[in-house]
Amino acid sequence: MQNILLTIDKISTWVGQLFAWLIFSLTLMITWEVFSRYVLNNPHPWAFDVMSMMYGTLFMMAGAYTLSKNGHVRGDVLYGFFPPRLQAGLDLLLYLVFFIPGVVAMAWAGYHYAGDSWAIREYSNITADGPPVYPFKTVIPIAGGLLLLQGLVEIVRCVLCLQTGQWPSRIEDVEEVDVEKLKEMVNVKDSDIAKLDQYVVAGQDVQK
Amino acid sequence: MKKEIWFGLIIMALVVVSAFLLLPPFAEMKNGHLGLLMLALVVVAIMLGFPTAFTLMGMGMIFAWIAYRSQNPSLAVDQTLDLMVQRTFSVMSNDVLISIPLFVFMGYLIERANLIEKLFKSMHLATARVPGSLAVATIITCAIFATATGIVGAVVTLMGLLALPAMLRAGYSVQLSAGAITAGGCLGILIPPSVMLIVYGATAGVSVVKLYAGAFFPGIMLASLYILYVVIIAKLKPHLAPPMSAEDRIVPLPAVTQEISNTFSDKVLPGLLGALKGKRNAATPTAEILKQLGIALLPLIAVSLLSGVIFFKITQPLPSEVAEGVVAMGGAIEDTPQEAESSNLSGLQEPQAMGDLKSPPGSSDAPQALGGAVEAAPVVAAVAPTTASAEETKPAEVANEGEREPAPTGFWIAMGVVAFAMFVFYAYFSFARLEIFKMLLGSFFPLAIMILAVLGTIVFGLATPTEAAAIGSMGGLLLAAAYRRLNFQVMKESVFLTAKTSAMVCWLFVGSSIFSAAFALLGGQELINTWVLSLNMTPVQFMILAQVVIFLLGWPLEWTEIIVIFMPIFIPLLPHFGIDPLFFGLLVALNLQTAFLSPPVAMAAFYLKGVSPPQVSLNQIFAGMMPFMAIQVFAIVLLYMFPAIGLWLPEVLYK
Repeated sequence: MQNILLTIDKISTWVGQLFAWLIFSLTLMITWEVFSRYVLNNPHPWAFDVMSMMYGTLFMMAGAYTLSKNGHVRGDVLYGFFPPRLQAGLDLLLYLVFFIPGVVAMAWAGYHYAGDSWAIREYSNITADGPPVYPFKTVIPIAGGLLLLQGLVEIVRCVLCLQTGQWPSRIEDVEEVDVEKLKEMVNVKDSDIAKLDQYVVAGQDVQK
Repeated sequence: MKKEIWFGLIIMALVVVSAFLLLPPFAEMKNGHLGLLMLALVVVAIMLGFPTAFTLMGMGMIFAWIAYRSQNPSLAVDQTLDLMVQRTFSVMSNDVLISIPLFVFMGYLIERANLIEKLFKSMHLATARVPGSLAVATIITCAIFATATGIVGAVVTLMGLLALPAMLRAGYSVQLSAGAITAGGCLGILIPPSVMLIVYGATAGVSVVKLYAGAFFPGIMLASLYILYVVIIAKLKPHLAPPMSAEDRIVPLPAVTQEISNTFSDKVLPGLLGALKGKRNAATPTAEILKQLGIALLPLIAVSLLSGVIFFKITQPLPSEVAEGVVAMGGAIEDTPQEAESSNLSGLQEPQAMGDLKSPPGSSDAPQALGGAVEAAPVVAAVAPTTASAEETKPAEVANEGEREPAPTGFWIAMGVVAFAMFVFYAYFSFARLEIFKMLLGSFFPLAIMILAVLGTIVFGLATPTEAAAIGSMGGLLLAAAYRRLNFQVMKESVFLTAKTSAMVCWLFVGSSIFSAAFALLGGQELINTWVLSLNMTPVQFMILAQVVIFLLGWPLEWTEIIVIFMPIFIPLLPHFGIDPLFFGLLVALNLQTAFLSPPVAMAAFYLKGVSPPQVSLNQIFAGMMPFMAIQVFAIVLLYMFPAIGLWLPEVLYK
């Protein structure tokens, strides 16, 4: 079971990380466009459309990746205090009530939305001679499908947690605040921090 | 443990029960009441801890379906599906939100360039004479680094690793140290370029450019209030923040300058010039002396260039609005070197000059400014070798005048003040200060120039926020490369983190735009509007009520959730009370600072606790944050009393 879960995690991660590189091309493209417009006096009318397509694709395709790393923002005022079983129970309930219907509806609607766009070979009308829009709209059902798949994995995780009382493990990934890495970056060791206790205690004595 | 759970669950149950009690019985419920019920339920559902984006999406879908069904049952499903996909697509092609991944990417890259250690050390030495210098340096470092990166958690953690040990060793109280770090680290979400202002702009339909221009001075004001508080505390209660000992203040000099300062003079200019001409300098190579001299003259060159640019701007045959803006900015800058002698905040303000100077050429969109800079360059070149003060640039500029408009007298007076200030600055410019200046040059100036270049191009309308953000990311890449931190690993991590953070914010936006559409469909908005208007509040009362509600929401919710869910409810009410959404946004941005510091869920406190020594308790950190929270409230009141703090710059720039 754990193997299947981890495999789907890997698919979500791989897709998300692949599309994550769009941020790099987005940076390069806009920088080039700015240079081209202001210095070479040669603006490209399609640049605006392409920018928004890159951004839209980037975040949509990273949705499942973020879910697989438990990265979507939660209101964790109380959640953090709950024991794992209660967390899993609540999550399971809300996955079934909110997540599955919402994402299924989005993917389904997106499928028809993109289908219509393909049928008329829709082109962007923001600028004259805009680039084709139908591949961009296709992102919605694909991202929705991936998200749904990842959501099913999370549901299984909730069930497993309800059975065993602890959350199944996930694959490690780069984190925003990785304390160990930050410590390494500024050359601080745990023992250095522990040594500081003497100053804390001394300070408290002075204040008393 | 158990008690807290029951406490939480009971509160949630109370919200639901009171929602049902206050609303009419189920059979008589109108759609508007359902909207309010939806709002109560969503707060509860968010508190249950399910990913907010999907809570909003699912709940929005269900209630949108109910709303459509009450109009036309046969079309309800199709309409709901259409609504969802259109809302999703509008977020995907949103031209405001597109700057979010770019700014986030820039932040991660700058964070990994590892400037913070150098920045903190150089700020520390630069502020050595100020009371509470370590805490002041901490706040300044936090403000700059947090502004450039925008990542609260990383800034607080890093400062907890660097500044907390330094402060504790120097005998600072735990509370003051913790307060300075946590409050300073949160400044990044207020001072532009911040992601929060983009999210607010996208939600409220306010121009991000104006928000950036407006939030600049309130952000600086809040940082200055923090510093002021620390200085006062250090003066009144020295045992909480003891002054630095004399030996800590000594800056080790490299061999060359040590030699010169021993043989000639400990002041930079006479010392280096003497060494250049004198015959006693056989041991030191001339190239080395010239290098030092070049660095020492940088402030002079910067000031001369800037005054040259301003001169050409104001004497332009066709005075434009932009020029007035520049003059106004220039006026603020010209005062700064005066403070150089007191050496406390000079570091903070000087780069403003450099940043403003560099931003127009960097954006390549200001041929006039560029021309001005180029023309001014020979003047500087002529002046620099003779090492005269800025006064000598005057005749040269007058010679260049030609048919241009005569400069106003105020300009010459300001120039005189600047020249005098530069004179005083160089009179006190010792070799130790040169070392500090060099350290700042390697840490503070690159960051400050980058922030100001990004901001300047946005605020002066030279580039859209998106373009400026992309160039900022490029700058981040170059910065990381310049500090030899750019490798594939760092690049990969920054890219992946950017994807996750952008997905988090933008999916939340997808959810909230479906949710707010459902809320509007049900007529919940109208119900709230009529209710609030029936209270007959004055604008002041409404403003206070709104800020109190946001303050209270900041306790259980995060700023992203507050903005995307509750701003759409407040914004339509603003025209009734004649409140500018821009001004409201600035107040909200200040207000949400408190959300990061309000116990027991203050994120900043937990990040700091994670890296502080075991004897430091969470309660001590919370206690340390309290005065800073009071300062935030004070800042909100100040901004409310004097809206010009925030609105002056946007008004000057975008009349």
